[in-house]
Amino acid sequence: MQHSTPKEIGSISFGLMEPEEYREMSATKIITADTYDDDGFPIDMGLMDPRLGVIDPGLECKTCGKHSGSCNGHFGHIELAAPVIHVGFTKLIRRLLRGTCRECSRLLLTEDERGEFRDQIDESRKLGRDLNDVTKAAIRQARKKDRCPFCGEIQYDIDHEKPTTYYEVQEVLASEYSQRIAGAMQGDEEEGIERTTPDELAAKTEIDLTRVNEILSGSFRPREEQREAIEKALGIDLTEEDTNKLMPSDIRDWFEAIPDEDIEVLGIDSDRSRPEWMILTVLPVPPVTARPSITLDNGQRSEDDLTHKLVDIIRINQRFMENREAGAPQLIIEDLWELLQYHVTTFMDNEISGTPPARHRSGRPLKTLSQRLKGKEGRFRGSLSGKRVNFSARTVISPDPTLSLNEVGVPDRVASEMTQTMLVTERNVEEARRYVANGPNTHPGANYVRRPDGRRLKVTEKNAEALAGMTDQADEEGVQTVGPGWEVNRHLVDGDIIIFNRQPSLHRMSIMAHEVVVMPYKTFRLNTVVCPPYNADFDGDEMNMHALQNEEARAEARVLMRVQEQILSPRFGENIIGAIQDHISGTYLLTHENPHFNETQALDLLRATRIDELPEQSGTEEDGTPYWTGRAIFSELLPDDLNLTFTGTVGEDVVIEDGQLVEGTIAEDEVGGFGGEIVDTITKVYGNTRARIFINELSTLAMRTIMHFGFSIGIDDETIEPEAREQIDETIDDAYDRVQELIEAYDRGELESLPGRTLDETLEMKIMQTLSRARDNAGTIAEEHFEGDNPAVVMAESGARGSMLNLTQMAGAVGQQAVRGERINRGYEDRTLSHYKPDDLSAEAHGFVENSYTAGLTPREFFFHAMGGREGLVDTAVRTSKSGYLQRRLINALSELEAQYDGTVRDTSDTIVQFEFGEDGTSPVQVSYDEDFDIDVEGIADRVIDSEFEDERERAQFLGDRARPTNLSEHADDRLGDETGVTSDD
Amino acid sequence: MVDVSQHELVPEHSVLDKAAIEDVLDEYDIDRTDLPKIKRTDPALPDDAEVGDVIKIVRDSRTTDQAIVYRMVVD
Repeated sequence: MQHSTPKEIGSISFGLMEPEEYREMSATKIITADTYDDDGFPIDMGLMDPRLGVIDPGLECKTCGKHSGSCNGHFGHIELAAPVIHVGFTKLIRRLLRGTCRECSRLLLTEDERGEFRDQIDESRKLGRDLNDVTKAAIRQARKKDRCPFCGEIQYDIDHEKPTTYYEVQEVLASEYSQRIAGAMQGDEEEGIERTTPDELAAKTEIDLTRVNEILSGSFRPREEQREAIEKALGIDLTEEDTNKLMPSDIRDWFEAIPDEDIEVLGIDSDRSRPEWMILTVLPVPPVTARPSITLDNGQRSEDDLTHKLVDIIRINQRFMENREAGAPQLIIEDLWELLQYHVTTFMDNEISGTPPARHRSGRPLKTLSQRLKGKEGRFRGSLSGKRVNFSARTVISPDPTLSLNEVGVPDRVASEMTQTMLVTERNVEEARRYVANGPNTHPGANYVRRPDGRRLKVTEKNAEALAGMTDQADEEGVQTVGPGWEVNRHLVDGDIIIFNRQPSLHRMSIMAHEVVVMPYKTFRLNTVVCPPYNADFDGDEMNMHALQNEEARAEARVLMRVQEQILSPRFGENIIGAIQDHISGTYLLTHENPHFNETQALDLLRATRIDELPEQSGTEEDGTPYWTGRAIFSELLPDDLNLTFTGTVGEDVVIEDGQLVEGTIAEDEVGGFGGEIVDTITKVYGNTRARIFINELSTLAMRTIMHFGFSIGIDDETIEPEAREQIDETIDDAYDRVQELIEAYDRGELESLPGRTLDETLEMKIMQTLSRARDNAGTIAEEHFEGDNPAVVMAESGARGSMLNLTQMAGAVGQQAVRGERINRGYEDRTLSHYKPDDLSAEAHGFVENSYTAGLTPREFFFHAMGGREGLVDTAVRTSKSGYLQRRLINALSELEAQYDGTVRDTSDTIVQFEFGEDGTSPVQVSYDEDFDIDVEGIADRVIDSEFEDERERAQFLGDRARPTNLSEHADDRLGDETGVTSDD
Repeated sequence: MVDVSQHELVPEHSVLDKAAIEDVLDEYDIDRTDLPKIKRTDPALPDDAEVGDVIKIVRDSRTTDQAIVYRMVVD
């Protein structure tokens, strides 16, 4: 297959097309609405004329001689019987009609005004602003003119009836003018307007009395100036609007006369676009390749929507011509003209408001030109920016804690479908043949091979052995053997790099590169620590995999996109990957009370890590057996020279000295995702690879630990003793009393309002405060009665899952339910439910739930709780759709910005957006800085220099401590040569 | 009336002279119209700024101490 060389696009220009250009590029004129004759051959000069291109394989194009597939098709044209308006330009046509003279077609602006707008357009162009603002202003200015500044003609208003009808609105003398004058002369006593006699009127208007009488009798139509005089004298309006329809041919004549220099003031390039071209006289007919007909199973041909529409246009066009030649009445002609306009309009856009859409026989609206391009599934968003790809797979994901975070488990059936191209050389020919020998169905096999001559062969069970050179069949059946110069499309194997993605792809960590581990069964397997960046869980989530097809892509993915390169998030500059959920509970159990483990236990905890020798024992039990503490075991995972001190999750200090955890509990803030201090530090100081090893080992150690201790939760873990229950009831009763007091004070009018609040608001606030304090108190009481080893407490304390509040609601009291941040106030008139008296302000009548989840809610409480819960659901639904759209718009607005090599951020027109990327030209991932920790520049410099120079001398030389040699004489050059870098050339 | 240009949170805005403008445009290899824009009516502008002038804004920055930005005055 030959490929044409890619060409660079020199320029693109947008403009209008001249009718002559349509004719020139046309392969044929189309005159018949029929497509095929009885024998199934396309009719000449019909809509399927063979000169318009070929769609049936085997046929030759009559215009270019190419076959289907290589012939792009050719346009034809229809000569329209009468001009019609192009729907895409109705607004511009309206503007031009309003802005130019009806008589001489000149733009209704004086020379000065033109100059001004010309300058404004130049300015806008330079600043990259919207030219429409200027041209709109110009038209607005031109519309103000009553008369043409060039020929003096009176200008009328233009009315636009959507989509394609234009009227000229003229003011003419009303037909019942005499009655109006007479009526006004009667006067109106109620409004205090006096009667006017004809004499008075004559005097006021300076018209002859006889004329006035004639006018009053209706036998004389007043002239323009007389009419105005009468109107002024009587304060009435004698005119009525008369609309005069502008036919497309009129508009075309009008536009033809607009001088070139006039439209340039409106920002139109007259060389490229003449306004009269917006009125179509020739309609281009898209090539058949753009509207292919399909042959149905029963042998019938089904035409494309566009063809249907073109048939309509040609039919009406012909009827129009026949009628006009036969001398049909004007009314019929106008009707046909309108019909032609409708068909041409819907041919281009079938979703115009005010026009009924053209329909298919079945009643389905036709999909015409604009519908092909518009919207999410249109050509732009659907076909050009979003394409379907090969070498991709999608299936359900499930967890596998034995994998490294860099890896992904790929089902064998996916691995044997996706391939990687192997270029066969002398060095890998054996390996390549091994793949081919396995055939397409056994896992590390091959699906296709490509011979050096470019022929692609499918590897089958039959030819696999021959291709691999394992039989003599090769010579017999002409099957060649894979050798150097061939290409083998082999199955994915362990260690291949692929791209893995979960939608919605909201940030760059939604697409990361993983290394393949081929596995049985049907799901993709991933390590649970990569769930946060993908925002994945395993309740049925599916993910996509893409196999990379060239070495460059594979290298780029490995270096830039691998999961370990994404441990630090550019969003906040800290690690996004780290221990989650049970890992955190596990490390908490391991380090919190620093438990003791005997040798077997300690080895078991560390068995999935690199550590195969235990450190020195932490001590001996009373019976003499050695033990290791949890912290000592955890410390085995840390880099040997790590030093770190900070306040941890539990509120105690965490102290790490020389890679030994001396003190502190390891939990969320230490090793969790989203900024776990130890993971973050290791990533930044020791690099991504060390961090990957640490996270992998940490998660396996944590899993072993949690399995060692056992971790489960049951209903008993959330129930408290009766004494505590009583205490809680007491606090809640207490709160009820206080609320009652508040209400009574309010009723007596003794409650004082808070600044800026009404009395009602004050009361609400105080009640809310009282009740939330009651819930908190209940929570504290419940908390006091929980043991430290309660699993729910462990999870809440360590930050693994859940919070103390959740626990409070389970064991203490659920508390106040809220809708829109207030107590529940909706429902019936003056009350929430008919169980309460009107205007009952008490806690229970407004959604206070005094029971806990374990105790169970009363029906009324349950109802209020459902109200609050519903709000939460609605909120999330609304938020996701809103933020999704917001993100789309943001991405579209920012997508063309690019950081340049000079450090600036510019858009595609080279306009500067930032002079230095992010003001400081740094990446949040490469820099570590926050309010508490300043950048330790000296420390970093020392570390870099220490690692760079092994001996003191080099180091001193680099730092410039050594005195420079004094060059006294040129004869000394020879001896300095090796140090100065200058060698003598003689 | 409050003069916002004197507020501590409003960075220093100053009008660049011809030579300095040339230097800036040369440094970034751009036309004047490729600079970010600022409205003539912006209250932070010095009084003598006119349409077409280039304003130098020196901001305090958390990471770089000072960040310098240039803007062209438009109406």
